[in-house]
Amino acid sequence: MSMAELGAGAHPRAEILALYATGDLPWRLRWRTRSHVRRCGDCEQQALLFRSARAELKREAETETLTGFEAIADLGRLEREMLGNIAVGVAAARCIDNAGRTRGLFSKGALAAALMALFAAGWLTHIPKEETAQLTASARRVFGWERPQASGTVLRTMPDGIAVRAQGATLMMMHPRSAVVSVSGASAVEARYVDEETGQVTITNVYGQ
Amino acid sequence: MFTGSRRGQIGRAAGAAALLLGAASAAAGADDQWLEVRFARDSPVLLVSFSLGPTTARPLGMSMALDLHASLVLRNTGNKPISGLTLRVEAQDLTPAGKGSVTRPSLHVAPGETFPVRVDMQLLRPFSMARSEGALVQVSLDCALFSDLTAYGPDSLGSRRALMVYELEARRDRRYLAALLQEQRLAQLREDLNFGLQDFSPQQLGLELLREPRGSARGEQPVTVGAVSFPSSPVQTVSGAARVAGNEVRAPQIDVRNTSQKVVRSIDMGWIVRDERGRDFVAGSVPARMQLGPVQTGTMSEPGTLRFSHPTGQPMVIDALLAFVNDVEFADGKVWIPTRTDIDAATSDPVLRRALGASPEQQRLAEIYRRKGVSGLAEELRRLN
Repeated sequence: MSMAELGAGAHPRAEILALYATGDLPWRLRWRTRSHVRRCGDCEQQALLFRSARAELKREAETETLTGFEAIADLGRLEREMLGNIAVGVAAARCIDNAGRTRGLFSKGALAAALMALFAAGWLTHIPKEETAQLTASARRVFGWERPQASGTVLRTMPDGIAVRAQGATLMMMHPRSAVVSVSGASAVEARYVDEETGQVTITNVYGQ
Repeated sequence: MFTGSRRGQIGRAAGAAALLLGAASAAAGADDQWLEVRFARDSPVLLVSFSLGPTTARPLGMSMALDLHASLVLRNTGNKPISGLTLRVEAQDLTPAGKGSVTRPSLHVAPGETFPVRVDMQLLRPFSMARSEGALVQVSLDCALFSDLTAYGPDSLGSRRALMVYELEARRDRRYLAALLQEQRLAQLREDLNFGLQDFSPQQLGLELLREPRGSARGEQPVTVGAVSFPSSPVQTVSGAARVAGNEVRAPQIDVRNTSQKVVRSIDMGWIVRDERGRDFVAGSVPARMQLGPVQTGTMSEPGTLRFSHPTGQPMVIDALLAFVNDVEFADGKVWIPTRTDIDAATSDPVLRRALGASPEQQRLAEIYRRKGVSGLAEELRRLN
């Protein structure tokens, strides 16, 4: 999206308005868009709609859950919408990327360094060390310092569950981190834990063939 | 694996996509069923109620991650008390190669009583994966064990035997703990229920089980498998060998001899791995069908590869391997499990001894002791003994 598209009465594209509504535009583009929106009733209404939708969705995201009946939904449609939303996200990222093209190399470098620092700080404070270790192990396999996993059925333990990966899909039986895991057969792994609510022991298994 | 909240903090663009995803999920219709619970008409347990708890769907890379949390309330509709049961969990995307199960041992559900079972699972399916008709996940009964040690169910996962062993261990441990209480050996009781000064909890480990046979690799070394013997075991280990490469154990095999006068139908062989610091971890056990007459010998082998790691994800360097006979099933259907005396005699290592004797019932009783004290434990033992 070039700055020129905002001049001479042209309406900003929907993604520009969406990013404007969420405060995610670079300052120059934001200033130009704001000037337009103040003069254009349609675009103002569109931006307000984006803003109210965002607030609504944010409330939902904060709960991080769907009710049982919402979850039992049309899977095909959900998949299509997920893919569509990924495409929207990619388009939005490209839009931001293009908008910032006019900046100098120095400012890009500084921004990248700042983002890297922010990412590193966020990683250190938010990602558990177990997951960091797992990613490190994956990286070691990628660089050939460790043998890669086999491509067939794989059973493995993770901090939150035991999983079987087969035919491209993965099924994970989840458990609390206090669970004790072990092999329970030639093609089976088990996790055993005490259910905090009931005080009863629960044993989960995953099986490969 | 990232949680939804952590993902949301990574970037605003990704956040916008995630927010739009939330709208898509909430707006989706209710045409398809994701999880189905199915019991046969003559099943001794039937579904009373079923609810999906906090269930989420989100994109994870180029896959969709479904977190399903189902709460089932089941009723014993038979005429015998149920001692334990196993529910089979099948996802159509992984059938027939992979499946899961949820087992509830030590139930003691009288006829007509209800009991809850939770199924917490995550299904990760690529967007490109085709989908057939029917529910994504099916839950059904694999086996229910009654208090008279008879069973009901297709037992396609071999759960009858596991439930039987859990029940025999439960009876053994209840008798043992009741005797400690009767003899006022409270210090021993506290130690056995992990309330001693020293933490003897079983060591945790991470593992991967790879089913594909693999060729020999650089650094691979043959090792001799040692034995941890229980004096009263009807089957004794003779010798064993495996190949070890770093944190991988390959093709372990062990020769065993039936020292009893009865025909053995199957043996559950337990494995202990020792790391470079000399710590022992009970890696689990592998049951195998093996017809073994009196004084006969046979070889148990495992073609797969086991890869071990510490809970932090760091690979565990394997220094030694030990094997023990966990339980034995005879041709007449009876099952042998080690006694408490066997376990005490097998090793002087308190951590290993604790791991060898850690039955689900002991865990449950330890929890009662933690919550209600000696009086609560005594009451529970009186109720069940």
